[in-house]
Amino acid sequence: MKKLMKDIFLNWRVIILLVFLLFALISIQPHFFGNEGVTIRSVAVNSSAARAGIQNPSPTSSPLAKEKIISFNGEKISSVGDYYSLSDNLKINRTVTIETSENIYSLYTKENEEGNVDLGLKVYDTPVSNLRKGLDLEGGTRVLLKPVDKISEEDLESTIGSLRERLNVYGLSDIVVRAASDLSGENFILIEIAGVTEGEIKELLAKQGKFEAKVGNETVFLGGEKDITYVCRSADCSGINPQVGCSAHPEGVACGFFFSITLSPEAAQRQAEATGKLAVVSEDGGSYLSEDLILFLDDVEVDRLKIGSSLKGSATTDIQISGSGIGATQEQALTSSLQNMKKLQTIMITGSLPVKLEIVKLDTISPSLGKEFLDNIALVGFLAMAVVLTVVSLRYREAKIIVPMALTLLSEVILILGFAALVGWNLDLAAIAGIILVVGTGVDHLIIITDETVNGEVVTDWKKKIKNAMFIVMGAYLTTLAGMTPLLWAGAGLLKGFALTTIAGISFGVLIARPAYAAVIEKLLKE
Amino acid sequence: MKGKLRSIYENKYKPLLIIPFLLLILAVAQISYQYAATGDFVNRGVTLKGGSTITITEVGAINHQQLQSLLNEKFPLADISVRTLSSAGKVAAIAVDSDAQEEEIDVLVNTIKTEFNLQETDYSVEVMGSSLGRSFFKQTLTALLVAFLLMGLVVLIYFRTLVPSLAVILAAFSDIVVTLAVFNLTGIKLSTAGIAAFLMLIGYSVDTDILLSTRVLKRNDGTIMERIYGAMKTGLTMSLTTLSAIVVSLFFVQSDIIKQIMVILFIGLLVDLVMTYIQNVGILRLYLERKTKRR
Repeated sequence: MKKLMKDIFLNWRVIILLVFLLFALISIQPHFFGNEGVTIRSVAVNSSAARAGIQNPSPTSSPLAKEKIISFNGEKISSVGDYYSLSDNLKINRTVTIETSENIYSLYTKENEEGNVDLGLKVYDTPVSNLRKGLDLEGGTRVLLKPVDKISEEDLESTIGSLRERLNVYGLSDIVVRAASDLSGENFILIEIAGVTEGEIKELLAKQGKFEAKVGNETVFLGGEKDITYVCRSADCSGINPQVGCSAHPEGVACGFFFSITLSPEAAQRQAEATGKLAVVSEDGGSYLSEDLILFLDDVEVDRLKIGSSLKGSATTDIQISGSGIGATQEQALTSSLQNMKKLQTIMITGSLPVKLEIVKLDTISPSLGKEFLDNIALVGFLAMAVVLTVVSLRYREAKIIVPMALTLLSEVILILGFAALVGWNLDLAAIAGIILVVGTGVDHLIIITDETVNGEVVTDWKKKIKNAMFIVMGAYLTTLAGMTPLLWAGAGLLKGFALTTIAGISFGVLIARPAYAAVIEKLLKE
Repeated sequence: MKGKLRSIYENKYKPLLIIPFLLLILAVAQISYQYAATGDFVNRGVTLKGGSTITITEVGAINHQQLQSLLNEKFPLADISVRTLSSAGKVAAIAVDSDAQEEEIDVLVNTIKTEFNLQETDYSVEVMGSSLGRSFFKQTLTALLVAFLLMGLVVLIYFRTLVPSLAVILAAFSDIVVTLAVFNLTGIKLSTAGIAAFLMLIGYSVDTDILLSTRVLKRNDGTIMERIYGAMKTGLTMSLTTLSAIVVSLFFVQSDIIKQIMVILFIGLLVDLVMTYIQNVGILRLYLERKTKRR
């Protein structure tokens, strides 16, 4: 018995499977006993939370790595309900202490437009693994936009940048904005936002993306080509400001950036008139004008820049815009500074979107439906697996076959999920359909392997038996692969998830899990 | 009885070949009729035609027939159909399919919302533009065609003999066509997921055919009939496991998308039994008979 176990676990096929399984589990990181706190989905601009320094989670960070709220005014938070019952009963002008997985923040409560106290945080139950749930399962809105006129690749990219910027300004960070195209070469823009209703997103997309720069109450220039004729993005007139560089800051390091823009003569004239009336004040050793240049996007303040005293009343067309980024280390500060610069440049270039977009597909999925789907699918998956195992048990009546078979199928599912977690796929219904297909072919192939080896030809050569079995399995694999490949490109990529899951899953199955099964039953049944 | 069936199956394989071909002809007839009657060879759903689906998950006291008549009354010109989605025999959700798009959909949603006092989280809305729906349909069909051709190519390269390869390809083709015809008869509307199911079907259907052809052509143990029975034993176990899993899912699953995939696979796997064990077996035996005669 001991020798048999040793034989099985030292077989190279089994070792490869175990190594891959280990990697899969590491990337999924399942938390079997639940997870603490609630995770921050988004932080609204200029809200109490944003002012206290809570950052919007980066869309690329993995689900478990996002910032979690652990306690609220000293009370432990373990569900979304806990959080909202505390945050909904806040009074104005109080200090709230929020402890998160990263830091402890003090928030000062203030009223929003509707007269309620709103901290500006949206939260959701902390995920129990690194698997990303797609929109179908989590609830949210998916919009497929199509440019009304044909546009160039470059315009498409800048439209996407501008849309992303705009959605970020509204504090929506859990978003996917990407280009999609279909077989006939049509371009689309796909936006997916978790936890947002249809009404909100329609409103956002309806906005023009109006950029305004004001001095005091006067608008001096608007975004787009009419007022801003040129925005420098090359190294000679944009980048980290050599004169300012990086310096120590209470929160770490601050690095300054700059870039130059060219205004139209009319805009320059307006600026001259607006600045002419201002007083000169000295501050931090420099002399500036009494009012700042304030940048607005859709009437929301996005940045505030000091105006050097030398610009007072002059109609210069070349202006240098500067700002800074803060980070814990110099490297982080440099990255954040360059990011802020890029953001401002995008806003100025594409004050309004370069093309008109129309909504060609709009889906909203209610979060409760998503949750129901997930529970239901778990139930169905469990039942289907039980039925399949009953049928094979009736056929083979041999634990030495059934147990390895069940374990192989389970490991195939883990391999797919691990891969999905690793590459950051969203698991939606289409991907689940793919997993069903993979497990389905998995059962079929394991039956082929079993019959070829156990009940197959009257040869005693196991190598030949397994070779025979794998010949059939490979044939079936290649044909399925052929069937799935065209789907990668059809239909604006909406079926891509299905095709990718299937292709990846079947490949893992045929190349890793199923050969290991063959090796195991060979060892178990050889005598 | 069993012996008699066995002797018919073993000896009368040529007349038996009529069954799959008859099925194929009937299927083609059904599809042509569908095309002549509706202008489309399949009943296209919202995702392939354009339109919208509102899914109400907080069913509460809403009755789907009442909802249907209410909506017909309020929107006499619109094409609206209300159906229920059930799981384990219970109504889990009510779906409203309509041709409404853009602004019309808001009116429809608001009507339902105020009528039944629903919250925003109680329902889901899916809207598909009609030009996108059309191009989706065209493209997924192209994908299906390309997939089929690629599959055929793989089979040809794999077996390197013309007749057995063509038999496998014909079996897959017949399976898809007959399944489509039966699907049409169910009256369900095809969605994108349904087309994905047809692609899955290529994979499932070819599996058993490859198994059969390999056993019959590339092995030397026993008679041809014994090898066929061997392949059948394995193949039937495969189909039986998959079919039983599908039946369980069909009964319990709540998602419309997955249910449609299951329906198509269910029909397809049943049809595949005929196509593999009567059509493909018959052609293989004819081929082997000719081959031995020629020698």
